[in-house]
Amino acid sequence: MNTPATLRLARSSLRAHRRRFLGTFAAVLLGVAFLTGTLVMGDTLRASFDSMFTSATRGTDAIVRSATTVTAAGEAQGTRGPVDAALAERLARVPGVAAAAPRIEGAGQLLAADGTPVGGKGPPTLAGNWIEDAALNPYRLAEGREPSASGEVVVNRGAAKTAGLGIGDTTVLRTPDPVKVTVVGLATFGGADGMGQVTWTGLTRADAEKYLTARPGEATSIAVRAGPGVSQEELVAALRPALPDGVEAITGQQAAEENTEMVSGRFLDLFTTFLLVFSGVAVLVSVFTIHNTFAVLVAQRTRENALLRAIGAARRQIVAGTLAEALTVGLLASLAGLLAGIGVAAGLQALFPAIGFPFPEGDLVVTGTSLLLPLGVGLAVCAGSALLPAVRAGRTAPLAALRETDVDGSGTSRRRALTGGALLAAAVGTVLAGVLGSSPSLWPAATGAVLAVAAFVVLGPVAAALAVRVLGRPLRGVNRGLARRNALRSPGRTAATATALMIGVAVVTLFTVFGASLKATMDRTVDRSFAGDVAVGAPSFGAGGSGLSPRLAPAVAALPEVDTAVGLGRGVAEVDGRGRALTVTDPAALARVLDLGEVRGSLTALGTDGLAVAADEAAASGLAPGRTAELTFTDGSRHTFTVRAVYERSDLAGDYLVTRAAWAPHRTQDADRLVAVSFADGVRAEDGKAAVTAVADRYGHPEVQTRAEYAEASAGGIDMMLTLVYALLALAVLIALLGIANTLTLAVHERTRELGLLRAVGQTRSQLRAMVRWESVLVAAFGTVGGLTLGGFLGWVLVRASGDSAFVFAVPAVRLAAVALVGLVAGALAAWRPARRAARLEILRAIATE
Amino acid sequence: MTAPAARVVDAVKVYGRGDTEVRALDGVSVDFPAGRFTAVMGPSGSGKSTLMHCAAGLDTLTSGAALVGDTDLSTLDDRRLTLLRRDRIGFVFQAFNLLPTLTVAENITLPLDLAGRTVDRRRFDRLVDTVGLRDRLHHRPSELSGGQQQRVAVARAFAGDPDVVFADEPTGNLDSRSGEEVLRLLGRTVRDTGRTVVMVTHDPVAAAHADEVIFLADGRLVDRMTGPTADLVLDRMKAFDTGITTVPGGAP
Repeated sequence: MNTPATLRLARSSLRAHRRRFLGTFAAVLLGVAFLTGTLVMGDTLRASFDSMFTSATRGTDAIVRSATTVTAAGEAQGTRGPVDAALAERLARVPGVAAAAPRIEGAGQLLAADGTPVGGKGPPTLAGNWIEDAALNPYRLAEGREPSASGEVVVNRGAAKTAGLGIGDTTVLRTPDPVKVTVVGLATFGGADGMGQVTWTGLTRADAEKYLTARPGEATSIAVRAGPGVSQEELVAALRPALPDGVEAITGQQAAEENTEMVSGRFLDLFTTFLLVFSGVAVLVSVFTIHNTFAVLVAQRTRENALLRAIGAARRQIVAGTLAEALTVGLLASLAGLLAGIGVAAGLQALFPAIGFPFPEGDLVVTGTSLLLPLGVGLAVCAGSALLPAVRAGRTAPLAALRETDVDGSGTSRRRALTGGALLAAAVGTVLAGVLGSSPSLWPAATGAVLAVAAFVVLGPVAAALAVRVLGRPLRGVNRGLARRNALRSPGRTAATATALMIGVAVVTLFTVFGASLKATMDRTVDRSFAGDVAVGAPSFGAGGSGLSPRLAPAVAALPEVDTAVGLGRGVAEVDGRGRALTVTDPAALARVLDLGEVRGSLTALGTDGLAVAADEAAASGLAPGRTAELTFTDGSRHTFTVRAVYERSDLAGDYLVTRAAWAPHRTQDADRLVAVSFADGVRAEDGKAAVTAVADRYGHPEVQTRAEYAEASAGGIDMMLTLVYALLALAVLIALLGIANTLTLAVHERTRELGLLRAVGQTRSQLRAMVRWESVLVAAFGTVGGLTLGGFLGWVLVRASGDSAFVFAVPAVRLAAVALVGLVAGALAAWRPARRAARLEILRAIATE
Repeated sequence: MTAPAARVVDAVKVYGRGDTEVRALDGVSVDFPAGRFTAVMGPSGSGKSTLMHCAAGLDTLTSGAALVGDTDLSTLDDRRLTLLRRDRIGFVFQAFNLLPTLTVAENITLPLDLAGRTVDRRRFDRLVDTVGLRDRLHHRPSELSGGQQQRVAVARAFAGDPDVVFADEPTGNLDSRSGEEVLRLLGRTVRDTGRTVVMVTHDPVAAAHADEVIFLADGRLVDRMTGPTADLVLDRMKAFDTGITTVPGGAP
């Protein structure tokens, strides 16, 4: 094969048609930049956290802690039991030990200068004792002094900035009991203003023991420093004989690795994966865009290719030439994308500290993978997308050079309709089998979802003709009529153009529908299960927040306006060997504020060895009233509990109920997550709420919410997530719009003579622009409607496949209407440049074009 | 004679500059009388197409004036020029006259539709019968022969009741029989309904259908001939080829 000739052809074609490759170039660039940015940022964050932890814990050579952890189902991190703080003094006397200090750690949420809680939107809000041995303290004093008297605290500098607190300021720390504190110092962690966005407040040891532990004399762990010449391993070996049962020692190195693993392994990996999924969507969308560009180019170049074939070019040479073009564009765009991606990562690194996210100092980490993977993806996407069009180009018959090229009617073949129909039927069948069966399962549903996407792509051209006709029906007037017919000209092309947008819109719709369903479910849950009048909660997501003071519920209950106030706290235990969350409460009173549904047995006398179980959980683990279960707590103790009641609804109450008395011996830091309140008869809602609020204000200002507010607050995280998802999907939609613009530009080029004729016989420039714009809007409308349908279906599948019968499927009409509107407006915007170019055509040149 | 439907005065059109300067029109003044069928002839490069493009508002003159009725085209911006073409001028091009996506009927009423004018059914029917396309109204152009397509173009050109119809080699792509039909159609429309047609051609047979032929050479008007026949026109053209290109212009 004469490669140089092929390459020459590809090169000259690229040079001649530079503008036509703009869309392809941009699509690849954006996709690759997103991917590179994600990878580089992930690596950089990981490296920064590594070095931060290493430097923060450099002086800690060993950690002594309880060997018992209990991890409830669905929890990322287990709960570890406490150790005896007095052990520190004993360990300090062990040969080889230079110092040992108890570490007390718990939840503590600061209130900002304006009284609002700081943090609590994901990262933990922590409090602990200020360790006087500087080497064992991961925090360094940056300003002020260490806490020496009760009520004095050191705050990490990042949190202090967010809270607007400075040295000498007084505020409240929710532990969750409100503690009045005075800031006496500001601290850094591993050289940064904080450990990411984790907030940390350091108290005196006495205060920490008082507020952060269940009993004085307990500590979370003991940090140990080795004497001169003693390695970490030797230290651990020396400590071991001095440890009581159920207590373990690990090296400082291992502890740092665990910390890093917790941040990188959980949070960063999740974060990176999340972003990678969205760059995957962007890449998928660009595949359709690029494929379409090459398909159109090859169609336009039929005569050129036929001429080449006629004068003796081999089929392989034509294919290779087209692929070489694609690869050249792919390579250039990918390289530009790599640079752009690294630039984005660098920009974010600079931006994070500015928006209050303490980003540890450090260079950008650009690994081989973050360069080679996006480059490979860019090239593969380009070559892969151009492959089919290239093969089609190779098949050009030499005789085609002599024929006038017709309007392309491809894409509406019977075979396609049948294949697509069959795929769709298979998709629907698989999905229905998956979600309507007795036990919904994810696999058939996922297979069905993939089949449905494939069916939509295959059916696109068939549907395009019909859809454009239906969607275009309301369009009156000659210019809109022309637009409709132009969109109908090549259903295959229209569909391929719209498919990119369809996928973007489908993902947007999927998330929108799923989010709305989650919200509707929350609403219904609160509606069905919450029988009280107001709820007191400390809204927080993830690991943040400190919960509510356990003294709040009794204080509220004492109000004359209140009939019942029940606090719901959280505990963990292994129930017959399986880690489970327990709801610590007053089960007897609970039924007055929550609707537990049908209760078998009695909730009134659980005592210290009784348990109530939700019906579903009871059925799954073979528990029934009268049966016993063995509970293992984080302190290592085991107790036999008797199931005294089985209740129907677990959505607010949780799966296991125990009394406060039963939990007390095993408790850690005490906190309620919710206080449910019902008013006494005849109390007006406003009066009741005001009375409860007055009490709540004395306990750290938690929010007092009506049922509707409570439901809303429970769903607050969903909107936050949706906003993020929309932002990430904007790129995919942008790429799809570039695709529409590109196809339109190519179409305008193809129709030069027609446009010239129209102008000659009296179409004004604005009429012509409107015509191009309406065509774009029609294509976008088709893509948007397809995407809404597909996304809605996939959302329904996802909801049903969850297997949770309480999960409600909801269609957020207003939001989806907004999505549709955005799609249409975006379609009009995409036509802006092609329409302008078309309107600028010189009539004479257009009608003279051969 | 009535006032001219269109005219050019001292029309000069220069393409390029310096060494590559081409004077396509070099001071042409000519009237296209209303109600007449005028043919513009000349060898290729004589400027006949340029003359038509400038007279019809598709191109602008370097100097001089082009008028349709009393409207000086140089005073119009692009939008008003477009509207003038739409409302007062009809076009028949050599090829690619029709939009492939529109039916025959829609192609015919295209200028009216662009103007948002309602189509007078009676006029439309008469037009369709004149061009003999009644049974093709709902076909697409690709389903028509070349001659039929040009007849549709003629119908379109007259549909808006324009002041003047410009035809640029309307038979250039047709076989002689189809060409003859189109030319007769043009002639008949002028004589039966008093329309004005200006046709650019290099074919003496085509020119013979006109009421008057004007001859262009090297961007100048060189001769006029009323009541032409194919032979007379051919002889006149041969005279150009033998080098007698500078015959004083003006009316014979």
